Amino acid sequence: MSDDTSMNETPTIETHTEAKSTDDRSPASEADADVAGMDDQSIGEETVIEARDLSVFYGDERALQPVNVEIPDRQVTAIIGPSGCGKSTFLRSINRMNDMIDVARVDGELLFRDTNVYGEAVDPVALRRAIGMVFQKPNPFPKSIYDNVAYGLRIQGKDDDLDEQVESALRRAALWDEVSDRLGESALDMSGGQQQRLCIARAIAPDPEVILMDEPASALDPVATSQIEDLIEELARDYTVVIVTHNMQQAARISDKTMVFLTGGELVEFGDTSRIFENPDNQRVEDYITGKFG
Amino acid sequence: MARKEYQKRLDELREDVLYMGEVVQERMRMGLTALESKDETLADEVITRDAEINELYLALERECTDLIALQQPVAGDLRFIAASFKIITDLERVGDLATNLGKYTKQAERDVYPDVDVQGIGAFALEMVEDAMEAYAAEDTDACYEIDERDDELDAMCERASGFVVRDLIETELTEDTTDAEIERLLADVSRLLLTIRDLERVGDHAVNVAARTLYMVENDDALIY
Repeated sequence: MSDDTSMNETPTIETHTEAKSTDDRSPASEADADVAGMDDQSIGEETVIEARDLSVFYGDERALQPVNVEIPDRQVTAIIGPSGCGKSTFLRSINRMNDMIDVARVDGELLFRDTNVYGEAVDPVALRRAIGMVFQKPNPFPKSIYDNVAYGLRIQGKDDDLDEQVESALRRAALWDEVSDRLGESALDMSGGQQQRLCIARAIAPDPEVILMDEPASALDPVATSQIEDLIEELARDYTVVIVTHNMQQAARISDKTMVFLTGGELVEFGDTSRIFENPDNQRVEDYITGKFG
Repeated sequence: MARKEYQKRLDELREDVLYMGEVVQERMRMGLTALESKDETLADEVITRDAEINELYLALERECTDLIALQQPVAGDLRFIAASFKIITDLERVGDLATNLGKYTKQAERDVYPDVDVQGIGAFALEMVEDAMEAYAAEDTDACYEIDERDDELDAMCERASGFVVRDLIETELTEDTTDAEIERLLADVSRLLLTIRDLERVGDHAVNVAARTLYMVENDDALIY
């Protein structure tokens, strides 16, 4: 079930003051950024999310090597890599979904608009409203189409002009034309592709800034997949999208930036998608994307 | 290694492009020999066997298209296929230019301007093609730059040869006894020689194209393209 179900009325996360300024980066983290092959092109773009020496452990096991990366505003950033490389772990660390795993522990910083989301003053529920998430398998609530979208808005008390907000979210999720005459029907009667777009509508209804997607099209047929891909490109006009995908061609098609994690939870390269897929810096990345290993 | 069948097809593409290069070089040698020895039988063979090169080209073009459509190559593999796709076009054109040498052989009834070293220019251009294909096989980027520089030398050789012919033609004194048929024959011979020189100069250009695409393939560097 979506984490939206745990939403409460906690206000924004903009209360934390301990985060370092961007000028306060340590030499070690700069060195790590170089290792990750950060593109010069990212300089000058507004950064929404920044990882600084971010590591994740499950018990004693390190699932993520220290990650240093800056994810730009209103672009699609794809995360690719072989199974078990840490890409979903990194994605879930952005809106603290790993908090739900008892043995998970995070080191380093994950800044959202310069605020460390792991700071004590940050409310994870409010954070997840600003950084929504869409999962691999569509997970609509067993309610009507309308109520699925309205759910988070009601909880937040944003129920003025609810019809308008629901319609707006469904339109932004490219679903309105298909469901406008049956909003009262159960969401569970929709096709898989429609259910996934409904989940996207539900995620964007509270007007988040970032949308995280964990293999959102892997359970869908090619037509539904292309609809989701079109939608992701549309969404990137208004939102920052970070998407984990096993489908490298999908990453190449829809993303502006690509992060490549390889075995051991190491971010090996990050940069413009066109460069990663035409001329990666790192030989291991080249070997991975050309199918020579992995 | 994963994707074994895909890797095998990439290896085979490389081998086939190199084979096409060898066929084209052989055809150039035959064309130059036919021209030098006025061997019309050899000239006919060069002309008729151009169809083999065209078939090779079409088969390799299809293979490149298939690999792109079905295997979605990226990075170095993509550059290799894209470069090969362009290189086979250049090789096919060199094959056409070799065919032209066969045609010129059949049209020529006599040598004009024997002092013009057509064979020397041809050998120079052919060696550029040979070296360009070796650079492709060995992924030798230094050789790519070197071939590009050599093209200037070939251009200068061709310009000197053409200039010599044109100047001599202008200075040729026609007498009252010179018939129209003789004038037409002279012009046809001179035009054919100038076309031969131009074609050999173009062979060098195609060799540079092969080198330029090889450099792109190996280093993602388009410095020699145009």
